[in-house]
Amino acid sequence: MRSADATEAPLPGHRHESFLIHSQFRYAKAAVLLVVAAIVVYLLDQPYGTGYGGSWAGYTLGTVGALLILWLTWFGYQKRNYATIRERLAALLSAHVYLGLALLVVATLHTGFHFGWNVHTLAYALMCIVIASGLFGVYAYARFPRLMTDNRAGMTMQQMLGRIASLGDELRLAALPLDEATAAVVERATATTVIGGSVRRQLSGRLAGCTTEAALAYLDRRDADKPPGSEEAWLRVRVLLDEKALLLARVRRDISFKAIMDVWLYLHVPLAFMLLAALFAHIISVFFLW
Amino acid sequence: MRRSWNISSRRIRFGRGTGNEVPLSDIRVDLTAAALFPLGGGITIEAVGPSPVRVNGNSAKAAAVHPGDEVLIGPYQIRLDPPPPGFDASLTIELVQPLGDSLNRLNSSSRIGLDRAAISKRKVAWAGVLLILAVFLLAPVVLYSSGAMPVWRKGGSDLTPITLVAALWKPGELSNSHRFFASNCATCHTSPFTRVADTACLACHQNIGAHTDPNAHLGAVRQMVDGRRCTDCHEEHRGTNGIVVSESRLCLDCHRTLTETAPGTGVSNVSGFPTGHPQFRATIVADAAGPHLQRVAVDTQPAPIDRPGIKFSHAAHLVAGGFPALGYKPMVCADCHVKEPAGQGFAPITYKQQCAGCHALDFDRADLPWPNARVPHGDDAGVAAAVWNFYAAKALQGGIAEPASSEVTRRLPGAPARIAVETPEGNPQAWVAAKTEAALRTIVFDEKRGCGYCHFGTGPGGTFDLSEALKIHPGGPAATAGDAAKAPHIIAPVLLRTRFFPFASFDHSRHTAVDCEHCHAARQAEPVGALLIPPIKTCTECHGSERAEMRAQSTCISCHGFHRDFFGPMRSADALPQ
Repeated sequence: MRSADATEAPLPGHRHESFLIHSQFRYAKAAVLLVVAAIVVYLLDQPYGTGYGGSWAGYTLGTVGALLILWLTWFGYQKRNYATIRERLAALLSAHVYLGLALLVVATLHTGFHFGWNVHTLAYALMCIVIASGLFGVYAYARFPRLMTDNRAGMTMQQMLGRIASLGDELRLAALPLDEATAAVVERATATTVIGGSVRRQLSGRLAGCTTEAALAYLDRRDADKPPGSEEAWLRVRVLLDEKALLLARVRRDISFKAIMDVWLYLHVPLAFMLLAALFAHIISVFFLW
Repeated sequence: MRRSWNISSRRIRFGRGTGNEVPLSDIRVDLTAAALFPLGGGITIEAVGPSPVRVNGNSAKAAAVHPGDEVLIGPYQIRLDPPPPGFDASLTIELVQPLGDSLNRLNSSSRIGLDRAAISKRKVAWAGVLLILAVFLLAPVVLYSSGAMPVWRKGGSDLTPITLVAALWKPGELSNSHRFFASNCATCHTSPFTRVADTACLACHQNIGAHTDPNAHLGAVRQMVDGRRCTDCHEEHRGTNGIVVSESRLCLDCHRTLTETAPGTGVSNVSGFPTGHPQFRATIVADAAGPHLQRVAVDTQPAPIDRPGIKFSHAAHLVAGGFPALGYKPMVCADCHVKEPAGQGFAPITYKQQCAGCHALDFDRADLPWPNARVPHGDDAGVAAAVWNFYAAKALQGGIAEPASSEVTRRLPGAPARIAVETPEGNPQAWVAAKTEAALRTIVFDEKRGCGYCHFGTGPGGTFDLSEALKIHPGGPAATAGDAAKAPHIIAPVLLRTRFFPFASFDHSRHTAVDCEHCHAARQAEPVGALLIPPIKTCTECHGSERAEMRAQSTCISCHGFHRDFFGPMRSADALPQ
């Protein structure tokens, strides 16, 4: 039995603190406070008819929401200058996540739950997609780094690729004594090693028609009638192919994890800018036709 | 690494197999890939494995080769040099694609990372931003500024490019009454970046009634009412029924304390309904001759009496068994109270429509030979003239035959009438005058049988003053003809009102499921003139507050309108800033 001290004492300066619990949930608390304030404002407001964006609470929540959107988008700009905000990055990210979630409540209350096929709901819908994709990002950042570490088993991507390349070399040598057809299969597995590729292929982490898998399947099929005298070469090729297939699976899984961690940004970032445009059009439209 | 050796053979085979004259140890080479042999004075190379060879870049199954040619077998390049003396051929073999490059090749053939596979985030963002600004900002601004929006659409499809673009900015559903011009934002939004002005509303609603009497002294309340913009209360784009605010607090904000803030108006404080609403105050007639109206709480004790100038009793008409003139059919409310076409209220009561059927102004008597003589209704001078004319005509005919006894003496059934013949004798004019005066006094303006049955007179205590009316003779009725102002008024004015709550409206058509007498206790209406308007508790049997759970939800505007046409226009368009 290990003592509690041994397991729980943090290593000074080495403790990894998730952005989610940064500064003891300081920004989570701030976001909750903002949400509660928004709900109070919404409930205090008693416009004639149902609540809507044009009441005093509507304007208040709308202003807060618009400022939040500007600030949240500015985070993307700050993040580009990593060197200058390195110290504050975790704090900024924590605030980005929690205030982004709070924005969902603020903006929803701003709508007064009225939606239509117009620029106003367009801005809201874009905001919802941006927040949803961001939420997926939080999930991905919480889940996949650990999976990637486990999957890599201490190797870097370049190490894995180098091993695959040298396995190819070894395979070519090992397959020298094999008959034509088998050698061709092994050579194809070596020459056409597809790693990465299209978005779908990277995300899936699998490759239909992998030549290495095909070579292993071929060896399985031919196992019974392998040419006499080539057993040793056969076995050696088999071992090398197995190892390569294992490495390839790892590499592809690694690429897949990384792709999933990146893919949400392809929604998050462009839609955030489209949201800014829609927000601008929304505000102009409201006061243009006051 | 470089080495040279000599080969003596009929042919030279290339391949990865060790039995070849030139073994090429690479997996990419066939076991036996090609053979080189002399043929017809030259040298020929022939691919003997499954793969072709490439001679000077051209794929070939067999080809003659000469010094200077280059042959590719897998990753190996075989160059033919001019043969030294005594040799058929000289070959230089070089591995041009060594296996050591495999990592580089693997790296360069791999596409790792979405940034190398997906389209640029920046391009998508720019395209999206520009698209949104063009469609959702530029297009509506251009459409609004160009004046291309149709004033309103007469038929045709609602879905045109123009209406679709206009709808992009629509913040909510237009009210139902304004939807017909929904295709043109500029109908109300007359200029950009300014709030909708009252003038836009008044363009159509110029006669909308004021809320207050323009002559009332309201003090600060006046400024508050006059300072309101139309859109303060009437917000558009709030749904199909949203243009009229129905919440009571819009009214109560002022009316809660109106007794204090505008004491001159006589308006009671209201803090809600049913709790907080004062007893109904009916406007009844205090004096029809004035005319003088009076506003009185309907539950005042003693019970308020409406004095429309007529001796009418609902209870006397609603007797069980009915009346002979109606075939003994019991009367019902609808016999007299005829619905207005819309059904909200009832048509005004008139003698001709409601009374004449039973209360005919017959001047003849059944036992006289000139039936159907009648006096007119509503024309006092005309009545006197009609009687005078009657006797004048009789005088020309030589007199009349009348019952000898007075009218109050009843004949026994079956007994013959005792008839006395009366003639004008020597002075027909005096005879006619005397007969007219007697008839007017005893029959027409009689307190019990004649006009007095229903009407009051203009004389003291409601008596009939005939002095003016009798001046018509001996000159005859012509003396006053054509001068209505001088015509004598014997009957006191009548003022029958159709509504008792000028500041509230009650829609009878929406209450048809309720029996009349459930609210109006007409059968018990004593004394004459007793007010039949029910008190507030009659309403609250069914009606509750605006948030009532077990009653009909009722707000101020369920009964009261804000704009009252009888106060004149709410806003004068001339007085507004343009």
